[in-house]
Amino acid sequence: MGDTILTMKGIDKSFPGVHALDHVDLEIRKGEVLALMGENGAGKSTLMKVLTGIYKKDAGTITYEGREVEYTDPRHAQEDGIVIVHQELNMMGHLTVAQNIFIGREPRAGLFIDDAKMNADAKKLFGQLNIEIDPQETMSRLTVGKQQMCEIAKAISHKAKIIIFDEPSAALTDAEIEQLFKIIRGLRDQQLGIVYISHRMDEIKQITDRVTVMRDGCYVGTLITADCTKDDIINMMVGHVIYEDPKTESHVRPDAPVVLKVEHLNAGRMVRDVSFELHQGEILGFSGLMGAGRTETARALFGADPKESGEITIKGKKVDIRTPEQAVAAGLGYLSEDRKRFGLALKKSVTENSTLTCLPKYCKGPFLNQKEERKVTRKYVEALNTKTPGIDQLVVNLSGGNQQKVVIGKWLIGDSDILIFDEPTRGIDVGAKQEIYELMNQLVEQGKSIIMISSEMTEILRMSDRIIVMCEGRITGELGIEEATQARIMHFATLRS
Amino acid sequence: MEKFKNTPVVRAIGFNRIVLIGVILLMYLIFAVLTPVLRGGASFVKFERVLSALNYAYFIGFLGLGVTFVIATGGIDFSLGPVMFTSALISGYCLMHFHWPLWLCILVSLLIGALFGVLNGYFVAYRFLPSFITSMASMQIAKGVGSVFTKTQSVTWPASGNENSWFRYLIKWGNIPTGLILLFLIAAVCAVVLNKTKAGRYILCIGSNREAVRLSGVNTKKWEMLAYILCGLLAGAAAIFYVGAYTTVQPGLGDTFNNEAIAACVMGGTSMAGGIASILGTIIGALIVALMQEGILAMGFTISYQYVLTGIIVLIAVTADTLSRRKRV
Amino acid sequence: MEKKKTETHRPLLRSFGAQQVIVIGVIVVLFLFFSVASASFRRYTTVVTLCNYMYYILLMAIGVTFPLITGGVDLSIGTGIICYSIVGSYMISQKGMPVLGGMLVALLLALIIGFVNGIIIAKLDLPPFITTLCTMMIARGLGSILTGGLSGVWPMAGSPGGWCRSIFKITVGGRVIPIGMIWMILLVAVMSVILRRTRVGRYIIAIGSNKEALRLSGVNVVKWQVIAYLISGLFAGLSAISYACTFTNITPGTGAGLELDAIGGAIIGGTSMTGGSGSIFGTFLGVLVISLLKTGLPYIGLQANWQQIITGMVLIGAVAIDMAKRHQAE
Repeated sequence: MGDTILTMKGIDKSFPGVHALDHVDLEIRKGEVLALMGENGAGKSTLMKVLTGIYKKDAGTITYEGREVEYTDPRHAQEDGIVIVHQELNMMGHLTVAQNIFIGREPRAGLFIDDAKMNADAKKLFGQLNIEIDPQETMSRLTVGKQQMCEIAKAISHKAKIIIFDEPSAALTDAEIEQLFKIIRGLRDQQLGIVYISHRMDEIKQITDRVTVMRDGCYVGTLITADCTKDDIINMMVGHVIYEDPKTESHVRPDAPVVLKVEHLNAGRMVRDVSFELHQGEILGFSGLMGAGRTETARALFGADPKESGEITIKGKKVDIRTPEQAVAAGLGYLSEDRKRFGLALKKSVTENSTLTCLPKYCKGPFLNQKEERKVTRKYVEALNTKTPGIDQLVVNLSGGNQQKVVIGKWLIGDSDILIFDEPTRGIDVGAKQEIYELMNQLVEQGKSIIMISSEMTEILRMSDRIIVMCEGRITGELGIEEATQARIMHFATLRS
Repeated sequence: MEKFKNTPVVRAIGFNRIVLIGVILLMYLIFAVLTPVLRGGASFVKFERVLSALNYAYFIGFLGLGVTFVIATGGIDFSLGPVMFTSALISGYCLMHFHWPLWLCILVSLLIGALFGVLNGYFVAYRFLPSFITSMASMQIAKGVGSVFTKTQSVTWPASGNENSWFRYLIKWGNIPTGLILLFLIAAVCAVVLNKTKAGRYILCIGSNREAVRLSGVNTKKWEMLAYILCGLLAGAAAIFYVGAYTTVQPGLGDTFNNEAIAACVMGGTSMAGGIASILGTIIGALIVALMQEGILAMGFTISYQYVLTGIIVLIAVTADTLSRRKRV
Repeated sequence: MEKKKTETHRPLLRSFGAQQVIVIGVIVVLFLFFSVASASFRRYTTVVTLCNYMYYILLMAIGVTFPLITGGVDLSIGTGIICYSIVGSYMISQKGMPVLGGMLVALLLALIIGFVNGIIIAKLDLPPFITTLCTMMIARGLGSILTGGLSGVWPMAGSPGGWCRSIFKITVGGRVIPIGMIWMILLVAVMSVILRRTRVGRYIIAIGSNKEALRLSGVNVVKWQVIAYLISGLFAGLSAISYACTFTNITPGTGAGLELDAIGGAIIGGTSMTGGSGSIFGTFLGVLVISLLKTGLPYIGLQANWQQIITGMVLIGAVAIDMAKRHQAE
């Protein structure tokens, strides 16, 4: 392994309410592949965004090739030789491969673009990487794997010295991953510094030289890949966290009936042959890493997205759910993970949002029964302790936690029996979180059943009676709360079948 | 200023609307002063002027009311004017050539408007076509249909004194501007529908965030379609008020009224992004458009100035709306 | 225009997609249908009428293809061509300008409107349809205001300045030859090359494909978006000239609806409303369909009003098919 090409020291970054990076260090060396690992929310993406200038750091230094740098725009970082290959590729699908690679710096022959030279140059780049791609192919026609290779070629054409891969293998086939690794090894041999962000243990073992682990915005440590085991890494990722009141045993009655049965649900790549059951009064936790397919499963179940196959049985009766309307009628409720995009009409008031799921109930004929509407809204604002100047307040003016409470209130007013909470406490402060947990417990005591999708380990372990773990669209494990530990969950979450 | 904005009267009506009322008064003043200056001898301060402006305000008002519902869902309807004309043409033809009873013809007018609303609504809500191109295409179809039906003839509705002319009382009874009363009445109904019914609630929420409403278990397509049907219905109603004031309808015209109706709507505070709409604002906007038209003609300018001004007004209103939205969120 | 069949022109050939083959089929079917249905259609004068439509619609359509490719639209071209030609006519007949001067004035005015459209859409980020709707209204009134409301006529053939008409039509031995088509074909070829092989075209396609990705690649997106609308304006100006030199009386304040023929033609030809794809040759074919309908329908007894209904339906159909295609692709 070569010399250090870049060091980040003491990087600190905070957002309103969240201390995203807490004195993080990172060292990238030439001719080496460094893995950057951590759970969801550990700060890996944020750190890279600070490095490439998408975010501005609050404190700390970045030293690149001996000089101190601070980028304000990813384009500057790119010009300096630091390139990120994102998960969501920045491509113009209607243009060809070569046109994409050289966009903005097309070689010219007189008045025209010299397409011939571009194609030849692109071919040369692909030759360097040892890949076979036709530079004249339309970008959108390529597989995701090939598109990614074009991004890599683009990075090299910018004379990159450091390339950061953000979850590169998520959308690739096994054959494509092999090709990717060949390319990465080639780049490493050319003395580039490579950062490889991924959660896939077996890949880390195959391609990386060292592993840096982050947890909760902090730097935990760095291991040499060859010298460590998967469990060593998991232990660093998970740490010895003290949880308050973890659930020790399931609170579900042994004779509780099955209220929801899902069989062979299939919806594209992210939901593959998913089958599970939910009992009455149960909180079923859905754990897994980002991209595991949990939200997609919930949406397919709820009729929000089309599904290819799958049978859904609610309280013993088969139901046909193809639209959210049918799902709500069958007694399901779904709180999506992105409340601003999918949960709330931001320019509308608390009241107007709260009664959306069951407006006919608060109507006298075609007219709104605004008195009743306001009464029930007030009731739930109080019950959930939603902090708002009034029920006529526009939802956009509330804080994240209170917005979430309005969404929860909406589904409670709708009186669904089976509730799917997708990341219920994301972006919410500790006090409000507590309230939501208590609320969930109350709900199951009243006889409702809950599916809780969460990326927060403590939350899963605290609230669930049973835990289902998904990885890349499939259910990889099921644990009762008595036998569940963070390490075991993580094991399933990274288990690729 | 802030204190003024927060007094209960101002908050009930809306600060924007108060500004607009101020604009009307200011406009009236300007026209009153400039008309004799620019056209020696002519006067703006006459009762006939007010009535003439009102005649214009009626049908623009109805068109504006209709398009308010559509814009509230985040869409737009460019077929209003020609649909209004086609409704007037077809129902007028039935009246004059088939000798159907007047009340039936009025119904026919409403029905035709509603049918075009179904056409627009279907393609926008169920087929996800962009509303502007759909309504422009249906605008062409409307123009054509009206013309085909009447064999390219214009249609003249009965003059007053005729047995079938009682529809004129809808606009004016002696010296009482019944049209204005009806306009306010229907506007009140629209306001109730928009603010106090299930339909209005859904329409506004769909305009704010269609996906969130869908995921709450609501059949958004149905309610979006309804907005277009309401718009068409009101265009059909506007037809009666048009012929009540102007008697003759010619095929193939009407698109300038689209823009004026949209101008009335956005001036009044309805947001093009959807979700926020004001019936009162639309009515005031319609009055402004009508007054402006009257004033421009009174001062001796041609209708072309109206076109240019309307274009500029909509541009300013939409820019203001867009910029203010960006600041907040 | 030499057609080099080298590798670099493969993307050009690829524009002969399945859609265009279907459109060619439609053209053939329409042509046969009208020929069979009406004897008068089979006369030579039909070709002249067809070309008269083609000139102004095709020029508008070539121009509007560029904003469409960026994912926007330009609705101001319809009333625009009337406005620009009226002002030009005013300059020629009332202000004594030579015909060339009138043409330049028309083009200048068109470019100004195009620039206004582009700046508002690119910098203020207003929706293109509402912006160009407003300029459409403004153009509608502007012509009359600037010229005092007179209708206009450009010089007729035979009079001084009437040479402008022979750009498009010349009479040889009793027959009218629509030589304007030569210019049209040349323009189609030139604009096609500009779209495919210059930075202008490349960046305009990129904007429609993924504006944000283009911005992140360091390209000045505002500049190229404005250029797209300038091109649309320029061609609206050219279309105004062709309209004036092909027809006689121009009535101010008209023109609303003409833009739909142009936009419809572009969409039929494969340009998508969602942006990122389009071809000038496709636009040519699409405009040919529209013009064929406008020319042929009167021969089977369907006058202008039926044309409006049919073009309206064709437009909805074309957009619906375009939407269905995009849905499928996703």
